[in-house]
Amino acid sequence: MISKLLLTLWMTAMIVAAFLYAGAATGFPGQTSRILFFHVPQAWIATLSFLLSMIASCMYLAKRSVKADHLALSAAELGLLFCILATATGSIFAKATWGSFWNWDPRETSIVILLMIYGAYFALRSAVPDPEKRRVFAAVYSILAFVTVPFLVFVVPRITASLHPEDTMNPAKPGMDPKTLKVFLGSLLAYTGLFVWMLRLKIRLLRVEGMREPEFVDTAMGQEEKLGPPSE
Amino acid sequence: MYSLKVSKICKHYAGTLLFKDISFELRPGEVLAITGWNGSGKSTLLRIIAGLVRPSLGKVEMFMEDEPIPKESRRKFLGMVAPALALYDELTALENMEFFCKVRGIAYDRENSLKIMERVGLTENATKTCRKYSSGMKQRLKLVQALLHNPPLLLLDEPGCNLDSNGMKIVEDIILEHRQLGMTVIASNEKREVAYADRAINLSE
Amino acid sequence: MFAVTTLVAVSFSIGSFRIGDAEKPFLYSVLLWIILVFSALSGLSRSFVKEEEAGTIDVLKLSARPQAVFLGKLFFNLTLLGALELIIVPLFILLMNYKIASPGLFAAMIISGGFGLGAGTTIVAAMIAQASARGALFSVLSFPLLLPLMITAIKGCERATDGMNTAGWPEVRIAVAYTIIMIIMSLFLFPLIWEE
Repeated sequence: MISKLLLTLWMTAMIVAAFLYAGAATGFPGQTSRILFFHVPQAWIATLSFLLSMIASCMYLAKRSVKADHLALSAAELGLLFCILATATGSIFAKATWGSFWNWDPRETSIVILLMIYGAYFALRSAVPDPEKRRVFAAVYSILAFVTVPFLVFVVPRITASLHPEDTMNPAKPGMDPKTLKVFLGSLLAYTGLFVWMLRLKIRLLRVEGMREPEFVDTAMGQEEKLGPPSE
Repeated sequence: MYSLKVSKICKHYAGTLLFKDISFELRPGEVLAITGWNGSGKSTLLRIIAGLVRPSLGKVEMFMEDEPIPKESRRKFLGMVAPALALYDELTALENMEFFCKVRGIAYDRENSLKIMERVGLTENATKTCRKYSSGMKQRLKLVQALLHNPPLLLLDEPGCNLDSNGMKIVEDIILEHRQLGMTVIASNEKREVAYADRAINLSE
Repeated sequence: MFAVTTLVAVSFSIGSFRIGDAEKPFLYSVLLWIILVFSALSGLSRSFVKEEEAGTIDVLKLSARPQAVFLGKLFFNLTLLGALELIIVPLFILLMNYKIASPGLFAAMIISGGFGLGAGTTIVAAMIAQASARGALFSVLSFPLLLPLMITAIKGCERATDGMNTAGWPEVRIAVAYTIIMIIMSLFLFPLIWEE
């Protein structure tokens, strides 16, 4: 309860600070740079969430523990949410800065691809009726999707760079003045806190829903004594 | 000497419990019957033993001289006949058998395949494509497929399905012959099919 | 059939439109790969779906090693793709008056791209065969996985067309790397999908 309250207060503080405390960065039209306080954490969380989901998928495949799948699913759901947010905020920034909503520069392209992967993941989950198969398939897919990511990292900058000579939008490490840096980090912290809180809620929800089914859901049920050959 | 051990198998599907706490052991020379109403899970239990379906709880183990056989290899030691199984329509019976031999890693012996086909009464049709087969003939071919690699364990799910009384006699002969050296599990409600069983498990209880 | 129809449609509508020569390499490359990929997506799931529908999938599970099944299906898909490319690419070149500066690189790109297409989609085909809503799902799932390959292939063909900077064949190498990695991952993951 306390942590929720703290989180809410902190988040509010960050939002206020984003507008009032830190100065607007130079080199960007008007107040648009402020969106970085929101957009960048969202994008980071969207990506890290994918990584988390994929690791949980590996754990699930290794041990077949339903908890791992709960984690994978929840991380994926939240990842999708943050991905949508990141795409939207990025788009707003693009419009304000460059005048058009979409530009297909490397970052934008990668976030869209991430969005597609998430979409495909959920399409797969909803298409498999048998719960155990659903978990296995989803896990396999998320691993496959993850494997293509390094290729994207290599390939996307090549093609989009040649298509669009304009600079990418990432002022990732500009000389941030201390105030901006503080707010940025604070916002990152706030978003991470939000993510963790929502993640735990979702996992709890999944676990409670799972209790409706009879107890035997998956085969890896902790310690089973090794059964020897039939006795004589 | 092979043996089969099934311990505390439970299976639930789509929220409903099919069966639970199924346990038994099987040795060569024994025939086990699995009976129960339609929908009680007979086929599913057989598929679990075959390794096609995972049980919700419990395990299935096969042993050769007390050495456990890993799950991935279990299929080499069993032959299965079931309504859900189908063979390749585009191929002839012999071609089907050739395919299964190659894919199972055993040498294709035309003579042997023909001999088994003779046993089930399919010799004249050995070179016809399976598309032209009647359902009874297809059922007999399924029996051939199950016996091809001389497995120690036979899993028969309604083996007499689609068969006339001649065909049923063939099935009975196969069960009797296999009983001498191997293990058999029959899932069925037909009296004739389960007549030779030493014991039975009823899933409707 | 899909491939040929699309091809004709594209050629007909674009043929009369004047595209500047500078744009041609890229545009043609894109069109070619769009046709190839979508045709592939409409046909490649057949090998698994057919087994599922005919009921032969169980006997197969009982008879063959999963890796063997996968490799067999992969080989079939690659052959299918090869045939597709063999028909479509020359037709495309003909119909669109496609002038290619370095045919060697072009051919290598087509071939390696085709391999990549097969490698990335076979395991997905196995998954959707056991799911509902198969056709659409196959495309939805395959597309994100194929994107890096597609982008590479388009770039590679574009390079082959305008003939600049062709040293080293970087795109072909990427496509080959993609193919190898996808096949290895699939071999590893396929048994999990195949055995319940």
